[in-house]
Amino acid sequence: MTIREKGYAHWDGQLRERRFPWAPITWLGIRLAFKKKYFKFIIFSSLVPAVVFLVGIYISERIEDFQYMFKGNKQILEVNPAYFKTYLSSDFLLFMMVMILVVSGAGLISDDLKHNSLQLYFARPLTKRGYLLGKANVIVFFLLLLTLVPGLVFIIFKLLFAGDFRFLASYPWLPLSVIGYSLFVTGFFCSYTLLFSSLSKNRRYVSILIFAVYLFSDILFGFFYENYKKPAFALLSLKANLQQVGSWFFRLKPAYAVPWYWSLLILLAFGIAASIVLNKKVRGVEVVK
Amino acid sequence: MTAVIETSKLSKWYGNVLGLSDVSLEIEPGVTGLLGPNGAGKSTFLKLITGQIRPSIGTVRIFDQKVQNNQALFSRIGFCPEHDSFYEEMTGWVFLTSLLKLQGFSAGEIRSRAEKALDIVELSADKDRLIRAYSRGMRQRLKFAQAIAHDPEVIILDEPLSGLDPLGKRKLIRLIKAYREEGKTVIVSSHVLPEIEALTRTIILIHQGKVFAKGDIHYIRDLIESHPHMVSIRCDNPRGLAGQLLGEDYVLKVRFGPDRRSVLVETNNRDKFFALLLSLLVKNQMEVEEITSPDDNLQAVFDYLVGK
Amino acid sequence: MTSIPPTDFRSFLSSVGRVFAVFFRQGRKARRTRFFFLFSFLPVAVSLVIKFNQVFSGKPGREGGYLFTNLIMLFYLQMIILILALFYGTSVCSEELEGKTLAYLITRPIPKAAIVLGKYAAYMAVMTGMVILGLIFSFFVLNVDRLLDPSLYGLLGRYLGVLILGLMAYGAFFTFLGSSLKRSIFFGLLFSFGWENVIQYFPGSTQRLAIAHYLKSFLPATSSGRFSFLTFRLEPTKPGLALLMLFAIAAAFLALACLFFSKKEYSLED
Repeated sequence: MTIREKGYAHWDGQLRERRFPWAPITWLGIRLAFKKKYFKFIIFSSLVPAVVFLVGIYISERIEDFQYMFKGNKQILEVNPAYFKTYLSSDFLLFMMVMILVVSGAGLISDDLKHNSLQLYFARPLTKRGYLLGKANVIVFFLLLLTLVPGLVFIIFKLLFAGDFRFLASYPWLPLSVIGYSLFVTGFFCSYTLLFSSLSKNRRYVSILIFAVYLFSDILFGFFYENYKKPAFALLSLKANLQQVGSWFFRLKPAYAVPWYWSLLILLAFGIAASIVLNKKVRGVEVVK
Repeated sequence: MTAVIETSKLSKWYGNVLGLSDVSLEIEPGVTGLLGPNGAGKSTFLKLITGQIRPSIGTVRIFDQKVQNNQALFSRIGFCPEHDSFYEEMTGWVFLTSLLKLQGFSAGEIRSRAEKALDIVELSADKDRLIRAYSRGMRQRLKFAQAIAHDPEVIILDEPLSGLDPLGKRKLIRLIKAYREEGKTVIVSSHVLPEIEALTRTIILIHQGKVFAKGDIHYIRDLIESHPHMVSIRCDNPRGLAGQLLGEDYVLKVRFGPDRRSVLVETNNRDKFFALLLSLLVKNQMEVEEITSPDDNLQAVFDYLVGK
Repeated sequence: MTSIPPTDFRSFLSSVGRVFAVFFRQGRKARRTRFFFLFSFLPVAVSLVIKFNQVFSGKPGREGGYLFTNLIMLFYLQMIILILALFYGTSVCSEELEGKTLAYLITRPIPKAAIVLGKYAAYMAVMTGMVILGLIFSFFVLNVDRLLDPSLYGLLGRYLGVLILGLMAYGAFFTFLGSSLKRSIFFGLLFSFGWENVIQYFPGSTQRLAIAHYLKSFLPATSSGRFSFLTFRLEPTKPGLALLMLFAIAAAFLALACLFFSKKEYSLED
């Protein structure tokens, strides 16, 4: 008599094609991120500026009641496109976005590479594009939560507090700007994170890369700008480039005297390079050299 | 014979989860098989006796010395972990020599021991390749090599045969048996009975953190043989077959499968039952699609032995 | 035949030495080292760009010493040593857990504390090599026209000392984080780029709660303009005390890391 292990069981069910085969990957990524206690803390900390800006919108509608605080200087609480741009491209918000990428994005592909699970994904009716979309949507979810959602909430509350549509009549393009810029920032950070996540099997290494490249580009800009006073060095900084493009989306003068489209080109080039690398790195078969 | 490894009331909890409960054992030189299904507590037991984790209750002694924080003892123990994990960027040679260096050997001795160990596991030709380029079987053999390279007196192997092809398994089994001849103490864990059977006659059955049988293979076999077996036969006339089987005293139960095309028989004498089944099939010229034993696996045996 | 068991302090040191030898070799050969080596050489590239610009534009530009100080403050002190110490420091314990290689080390005749100290020393040596080389190259590039000025070498020595002390203290702290926390990188980043910067703004003794404070106490007080937060309102500690504090911080956190690593039972997760 032999005692053997249970073998494979055949599945006799009918295979149904999902409309969005990447959706389970996205939901799993979001669920896993929320399982970490400190991740909730980061998300809530990241939303603190949104609350502050919302209070600002309230105060701007009741400015007479708060006159004593501003000593006649109403300018600082004028809700206009610059107000939205300040929120969406503030140093703090961008820093918190990078922290979210470090925590929830670093392992998206690198963990799969570490556990050799890419072949498991591609053994299912899932294309490479579907896989990358599923992974990217995890980042999209969190970043839009910090950009698009507060941006639209600000507009809605501005209208509610004002009780009329004058604000929207003055800036009819503003909702589109909020949507456009939020999607742009999110898209850039998606390619940025997935690129680094695909470069190594070590999640800690990827986390450091995501943070270090962002920080280094900014320090590099600071160093050259400080020593040469040339605004063109803003093109070296990812943060400054995002802010420059933000100025265009909100029809504002860029902070540095460099055409905004140069910043746009640099960020787009980065995104294209990232997609090429991702296409090469994400493969169902591991090639061992 | 004097026991090399002694555990007394050894228990381990991981928070609220029981890893091992009240295990008192004496393990003597020779090969001892630690048999149990996945999650039974085999790895916990091996980690406790190698001092990797502390017992919640109880004691472990090897060569009559305590194990915890007794670094001197570790030079007499070789451990092959269960995980398929390595310093991937090292070559097989560097991996082995590095670990030998940690053992405290001189440079010359490190070289000769590493060469010998690689020779034993037949990896000499691939020693300069990166470990990440090794096949599963090669990795398994390298793991074994690092456990034996310092010539330990006690060799503890956690699932050493998993991932090996039949030829690799046979070679490793032969190697392990050779260590028995040298009078060393070898503990091998596995969840596959035939693997353990091929290695040793001394088996410890472990399940749900408890040792519920220890002894000679025949004793375990007897337990298994007396275990009622389920046999499922899918054929063109299940009712007819069932009627003819019912008359025998070694057929305990008969029922029909959910597909109505198969008959499930419980018997306490497999040999007699299969002899009868064959004769009935031939006599009645029945067309058989499939014969399976749904509970013919280790888990079922354990379930039976623990009275489930 | 078996090896000789370590029984006293000398054999403990010998165990540390053996671990050091293994991981120094591994650290040097690892692929990630190549990246971090390039990373720590980025200031050299920046220095070259500045020098070429000075030569080809014909403008004298800022003085080499000023640029060098700026380079140290911005690149090395605020970023490179933090990133290196964070990665390598947390690697001491975390990489064994993540790679599930812990069993290979803790079933050897070496004390667990020797594993921590040996790996820490090995990675310190790797990081120090990277930083020293980068700094020396940057120094020569930026000061190529006045290499005969002996005062410059005193400055170089001082900066090198500060960076090595920084690596030592931060490395020990991150080794402790790696031994005690699962998400050591995240908390390390918060500490490095949150706590260490924010605490500088507080007056009085509060700024002494940052490692950067003691490092800055060795450096000449200069304003680095837009990126001046590291020198913001510095109330320096006397160099002798600062040195003592940095050694104490390193020793304390290493001791804690050894304690955690020896006592904690790590679960190897997937």
